[in-house]
Amino acid sequence: MVRALGWLSALALAIGLVMAFGVAPRETSQGNVQRIMYVHPPLAWVAYVAFAVVAAASIVYLVRRRPAADRLAHASAEVGVLFTGLAIATGSIWGKPTWGTWWTWDARLTSVAILFVMYVGYLLLRGTIEDRERAARYCAVLGIVAALDMPLVHFSVYWWRTLHQPPSLMKPGGFSGSPAILWPLLVNLAAFTLLYAYLVAKRARLLRAERGALA
Amino acid sequence: MPDNWSYVAAAYGLTALVLGLYWRHLVRKENELADDQIAERSQKPSRPAHPRPDSTTRGPLQR
Repeated sequence: MVRALGWLSALALAIGLVMAFGVAPRETSQGNVQRIMYVHPPLAWVAYVAFAVVAAASIVYLVRRRPAADRLAHASAEVGVLFTGLAIATGSIWGKPTWGTWWTWDARLTSVAILFVMYVGYLLLRGTIEDRERAARYCAVLGIVAALDMPLVHFSVYWWRTLHQPPSLMKPGGFSGSPAILWPLLVNLAAFTLLYAYLVAKRARLLRAERGALA
Repeated sequence: MPDNWSYVAAAYGLTALVLGLYWRHLVRKENELADDQIAERSQKPSRPAHPRPDSTTRGPLQR
């Protein structure tokens, strides 16, 4: 099952890559650097999904004390941190030629940086507490509290004056650009979501085996 | 606007590198854990499935 998910995500990523470079046209105002947008928003989308899963699994853990929910939260947080870090890095790489700067302390970038630091803290907290049950409990609370930053990240572009543009897809009225740009973006969103599911499934399985070996 | 292909290559390259390294890290950990479990199993003394009762508990026909 996990292996099949891996092959499926590899295939989807290959199709996404072909669409980003072979199907999507050269954007008129930004030039080819706009092709970074077929990887940056999917990474940011997966970060949202990952931290929403952490929050949901944490609630389930606090209510039902199921170890599987704790393992899912742990795995999703780890993968989410990875994708958030990559979203920040690819956004920064795109920002340099487009905005003329690698980084600016605008509301979107700052709220994402806070989100990233909070989930790095989540992973560090897991590593520092030896009692597994206590670590799971504390991390579940932190996982829920940290998720409260997500609406702030998403709506920051509306609530404050920011350099970062408003969302292209997740907005009232939907995507307003050309289908030649929309389809490669959608395929890459699906491909990165599959990759996320694969990595989380693999990490959760590994956590189960590790905890079984330690018990 | 110039195309800035080096930035495109950097963004895609970094993403591929980081995700590839994380995947490899998971695979390596999985293999290490499997090796440890095999080693642990081979170190345990083997026990017969049906141990013979000692002489004091054997029935008259078993003596």
